[in-house]
Amino acid sequence: MSDPAVVETVALTKRYGDFTALDALSIRLEKGQILGFIGPNGAGKTTTIKILVGLSRPTSGRAAINGVDCTAEARKIKHFVGYMPDTFGSYDNMRVREYLDFFGAAFKIPRHQRQDRINASLAITGATHMADLYVESLSHGMKQRVAIARTLLHDPPVLILDEPANGLDPAARVEMREILLNLAQSGKTLIVTSHILPELARICNMVAIMTHGKLRAFGTLDQIMQDVRHQRMIEIQLLSEEDVVQAAEILRQHLGPTVAVTESLSELMVRFNTTGNEQSLALALQRLVSAQVRVSQFREMQQDLEDAFLSVTQEPQSEMAAQEVQA
Amino acid sequence: MNNPIVRRELIGTLRKPNVAALQVAWMAVLAVVMILRWPVNGHVNLAGTQAQQVLSLLSWTILVGVMLVAPAFPAASVVAEKRSGTLALLLNSPLSTAAIFRGKLIGALGLPLLLMLLTIPAMTACFAMGGVSLLHQVLLLYLVFILVALESAAVGLYVSIRANNVDSAIRLTYAVLFVLDLLVLIPYRLVANTQIPSLVNLGRWLASFSSLPAILHILGTNSIHAGNSINGGNAVIVRFVICSLALSVLSGLLSIRRLGQWLFDRPRDSGKITDDRSTKVRAYRRIMYLWFFDPQRRSGLIGPLSNPVMVKEFRTSRFGRSHWMMRLVGICLMVSLGLMLAAAYGSISFNPRTLGELMVLFQVTLIVLITPSLASGLISSEIQNKTWQLLRVTPLSATTIVLGKLLSVCRTLLLLLLATLPGYAVMLVIDKGQADRVVTVLITLGIIALFCLLVSSAISSWFRKTAQATAVSYALLLAIFGGTLVFWAGRGTLFSLSLVADILKFNPLAAALSTIHAPGFNDYNFVRTNWCFMLVAMGIATVILIFRTWRLTRPE
Repeated sequence: MSDPAVVETVALTKRYGDFTALDALSIRLEKGQILGFIGPNGAGKTTTIKILVGLSRPTSGRAAINGVDCTAEARKIKHFVGYMPDTFGSYDNMRVREYLDFFGAAFKIPRHQRQDRINASLAITGATHMADLYVESLSHGMKQRVAIARTLLHDPPVLILDEPANGLDPAARVEMREILLNLAQSGKTLIVTSHILPELARICNMVAIMTHGKLRAFGTLDQIMQDVRHQRMIEIQLLSEEDVVQAAEILRQHLGPTVAVTESLSELMVRFNTTGNEQSLALALQRLVSAQVRVSQFREMQQDLEDAFLSVTQEPQSEMAAQEVQA
Repeated sequence: MNNPIVRRELIGTLRKPNVAALQVAWMAVLAVVMILRWPVNGHVNLAGTQAQQVLSLLSWTILVGVMLVAPAFPAASVVAEKRSGTLALLLNSPLSTAAIFRGKLIGALGLPLLLMLLTIPAMTACFAMGGVSLLHQVLLLYLVFILVALESAAVGLYVSIRANNVDSAIRLTYAVLFVLDLLVLIPYRLVANTQIPSLVNLGRWLASFSSLPAILHILGTNSIHAGNSINGGNAVIVRFVICSLALSVLSGLLSIRRLGQWLFDRPRDSGKITDDRSTKVRAYRRIMYLWFFDPQRRSGLIGPLSNPVMVKEFRTSRFGRSHWMMRLVGICLMVSLGLMLAAAYGSISFNPRTLGELMVLFQVTLIVLITPSLASGLISSEIQNKTWQLLRVTPLSATTIVLGKLLSVCRTLLLLLLATLPGYAVMLVIDKGQADRVVTVLITLGIIALFCLLVSSAISSWFRKTAQATAVSYALLLAIFGGTLVFWAGRGTLFSLSLVADILKFNPLAAALSTIHAPGFNDYNFVRTNWCFMLVAMGIATVILIFRTWRLTRPE
């Protein structure tokens, strides 16, 4: 029997007039899991997050955290979620300690506990030395730490972090990764959005990929990668631009309209995803060679989360392209 | 036009939709002004009385228009670029700082000059009525308007270079120009009757920073400070030209000096806290700052009974911090005590009523100037700084947020009003019979403070940018408090007495002045009507504020 869901959405839908921002999203997260929530801009990630933190109402469907409905009990839900938006939101003339004190008081943390909570939050995020600095004078990386400290103040079971690694230098990114992993180990459930997919792949044990308001893939990182692996990404290195153009043309004829063949003249490279076996790949190479195309390398790429994301997000386009061709 | 900044500033300004709306509104105002005093019976006074009346009304309208519009864009100009990062790009270009300033200045003058151009048809019609001198009136008036625009733009740019955010730059610019246009007239009034020529002369030169005496002189009205001691001719205008140009040049030089790469060369705050410093430093600072007012003191946690939003507002707003608050209260106390001393020593021939008039003017000016600066950013600044969504994810209710914000401004206003009370105490010592009037005035002042607070807060909830909310708040309050006084200034000549009396009912300042029986307001008695107006307006503002805050806090 699986653990009880900490975060659960069932057929969550949000429409703005005719536009569907979120289309029947169903996900489920358990305690201590880190969900990498990825998708291109306008995919519906922020809409989902806003519903989860009680800032937006769904048109239909249900979202719950710790079994509490995010819409019906929006006030209560705020105690269960620590939300870090993609913008910091700072006040002028306020020191970090005062900033955290304000949010601590806003979350009704008793005064005798608040100082300890502030100190603990700053310690977890490695921001203790910033306590007496003015918030507006902090660097971007420092602000990210303070923002996470703010979300931890009321000790919520769920943290929703929008682009926490955005704009951080490599060292700060490594530290941020450790902070998030430590938080998950301490039993918190994390939902993290980011465009830095290799970074997400290192910390997430669950992944949700969205495009156009629809959930395209959801599961553990291994499950997603297995789904993606049924497609192989082939990369062909050529010697000249003429070879690139010629190779792309031959492959399009050979592979058919359902396979997207992309060419890069600057890299002298042709790429395509295929479900074909070794024999079909050998045949493709043979066609190229027999057409006098000068191939220097013909290789299958190792796939990562970025490839999985590209593979999933490009699928509908290729499907649409196929439908158009059939029509 | 070799300077690319001029082109960009001009196009950037004129492309804005609200600038187009401003031009239309400006033309409408000019049309109304002309229609108000245009002879309708087909008879034109050959002595030119009607033309002078039209000229007078038109000139004041243009002056107010230029004063309101000219500082707005330059005040926001540099600081907005500084915050968006484009100023660094400009400074990194081969353009010199002088060229950047010149470009900004000329660009900023574009709109006021355009508005002046739009007044030419009205001015021509006025001139065509006869009795108006082209050289001694029309051209001189335009010279004054241009100098006012230049001075406003130069001061606005200097403030903008020094400021850290757009709304504080706009506030500070208008405050500086308010001092230069109005408050500089007060010292002359205080020393005019003394027999010390150097003091009178100093007061006269100080008053020459204001354009009002020059305008009054051109329009043939007795100048505020020309009085009987003016050396005749155009001395008032010459002094104004000298002062205005000197101020513009000085602002320009200071701006160019400050506008450099080192504008960004500021170290990050080191976060020094008195509590962590050596015993010697700690003891010194605690004595010097009376402990409580030390800006580097580590503040305590928010108390269990305190509204967290209120405490947050105290800590983030400039006059909320105790050391800033005390500076402001200190200035108020000093002015109030100065008036007391002046009355006590009899160095000025003030009777209690004159003292009361000055006190009322001082307090209302303070309230009108300070309240929008505190209240017009209450909601809009949270939206602008993206902190509103942080408030929304806390369990704080809309009521708690609104209440906390209003209370934070109330405390500051209350302290300000209390700081000026000694002046009224002196009035009562001199004439105990004034007690009822003083109480009525104090109640009126309290209502005025609440009125300004609620109106500014309601406006704040409608805007996403504090600069816009601040500008609208000031424009509305100045229209109510100052605009209606224009009718009073033209009572009996431009406007009928009954019309003036009806309009003044909506002016809280006039109500307070009538209560204290200030000269020119003795005949009016509409304090109750004015209270009703303010209470109704406060009710409407409160409903708007609560409704907007509720809309902003509920889930989308």
